[in-house]
Amino acid sequence: MSQLQVKVASIQDVSAGVRHFTLVDAHGGELPAFSGGSHIVVTMPAPGRTYRNAYSLLSSPEDRAHYEIAVHRQPQSRGGSIYMHEEVKVGSVLDISYPVNLFALSRVAKHHLLIAGGIGITPFMAQIHDLERLGGDYSLHYGFRSREHAAFADALKGRVSQRAVCYDESLGQRMDFDALLRAQPLGTHVYACGPQGMVEALVSTARALGWPEHHIHSEQFLAPPVGEPFTLKLSKSELEITVQGDMSMLEALEAAGVDAPSLCRGGACGRCELEVLGTDGELQHHDHYLSDADKASGRKIMPCVSRAKCGYLELNL
Amino acid sequence: MERGYWIRSKPVYTALLWNDKATAHAVLAAGDGGLAVLKLFQQALPEQPITVFYSPAGADKDYLPALQAAVDADLRVFATTAELLAAWADYLATARMGLRIYTAGTEKFMWDVTDAAADFGILNQDVMKELTGSLARSVYCVHCKSLTHEVTSNIATCSGCGRQLFVRDHFSRRMGAYMGLMVDAENPGEVPQIEEIYP
Repeated sequence: MSQLQVKVASIQDVSAGVRHFTLVDAHGGELPAFSGGSHIVVTMPAPGRTYRNAYSLLSSPEDRAHYEIAVHRQPQSRGGSIYMHEEVKVGSVLDISYPVNLFALSRVAKHHLLIAGGIGITPFMAQIHDLERLGGDYSLHYGFRSREHAAFADALKGRVSQRAVCYDESLGQRMDFDALLRAQPLGTHVYACGPQGMVEALVSTARALGWPEHHIHSEQFLAPPVGEPFTLKLSKSELEITVQGDMSMLEALEAAGVDAPSLCRGGACGRCELEVLGTDGELQHHDHYLSDADKASGRKIMPCVSRAKCGYLELNL
Repeated sequence: MERGYWIRSKPVYTALLWNDKATAHAVLAAGDGGLAVLKLFQQALPEQPITVFYSPAGADKDYLPALQAAVDADLRVFATTAELLAAWADYLATARMGLRIYTAGTEKFMWDVTDAAADFGILNQDVMKELTGSLARSVYCVHCKSLTHEVTSNIATCSGCGRQLFVRDHFSRRMGAYMGLMVDAENPGEVPQIEEIYP
């Protein structure tokens, strides 16, 4: 995977548990261009193991001098977000991937309905830059637990107050997906990013109301759930690798030096799909990529977030 | 046509079926498309509001009395397809997401309906289509860019430049027309036998 080196130029705490990092090219050059909705994967070389997490870029896509990301310290972090909060300082140098966009704005949409929950606001921060520049018609609905969790709400108020509606859950303000989706003009595309429950509720409401599938866009980066240790048997390379309980299969493969492909590392893109040859237990699928039929077949697995409850899992790798 | 040979852009039209995940339904038909609407109303009806736009223009039979009896919905009748399409554009301007669209009639009519919907961000794959009455094609001349409508033969005279055009299966969704190429470009005057193959 080709990597960029960036240096942390500044760090700000923007809301409870959310730290905002401004990154510049470590060699003083311009950073690659990106489009709103893109993310980067940050490599975090913690002692003993390496974490790689995806974070949406929230800075203006026109600004080639900086990238900005916001990291929510996950209460049940396996270590990635804690590393970003505790180990990364101004001046730290980080390896990041080139930006990749799995959450792009539709170019044929007549209206864009942006639905953010909590830290899910980040990809929309960059998309709003694109929409403002292109003159796109949009509205943003942003829900958060309370004022102190409302990252960037004040910045949004200043920039796009006409188009943004905020929902403070602590004041009992909730989005009504059914009413919101029913009110949209033809040609609307909806984009959801936030907690799993929110995204799933939005997507299933849109489907039930007859929204065509390609008008519904969502992004969630999942952290790999913890589980029990098991053994990977790789049929081609004839290796046996132990996956620890707090490690993903992908991380275990990488730690063992196996060149396994990956991109988003959050169960969204499908790049890391592997073929399952056999297991003495059951697969635990956690991704958003495989179809229900694929998951039921037991032949495919996304090692970035999925695992197995078993003694061994044999892969065609 | 040769077996196994297929041009992917050639649309495949099926029978209309209600899509019960919706907030509203719009059914647009012209001429013999009236029969497709009657078939649609013999299926279990969806719960959401239905609006039917129908123009009898071009029909072999008078479907209107049967439609008025069978259509338990808002039935709007137009003397010409042009009037129907104007009303359709007005309807689209105030419609909301969740509208399901069904159309039946000649290929030209269905793609005119689809084209109007495309102005409101609706992709052609989300307009359900049932071809009725005729296989007649609209043909786009790749030489002079003119459209020739209601072509029923393998070779047609271009309405713009008068060339003899071979009618291909290569279909443009944007124009609702098949590609037409000069058939005697290599050997002027050598035009193969003209047959009616799209009656």
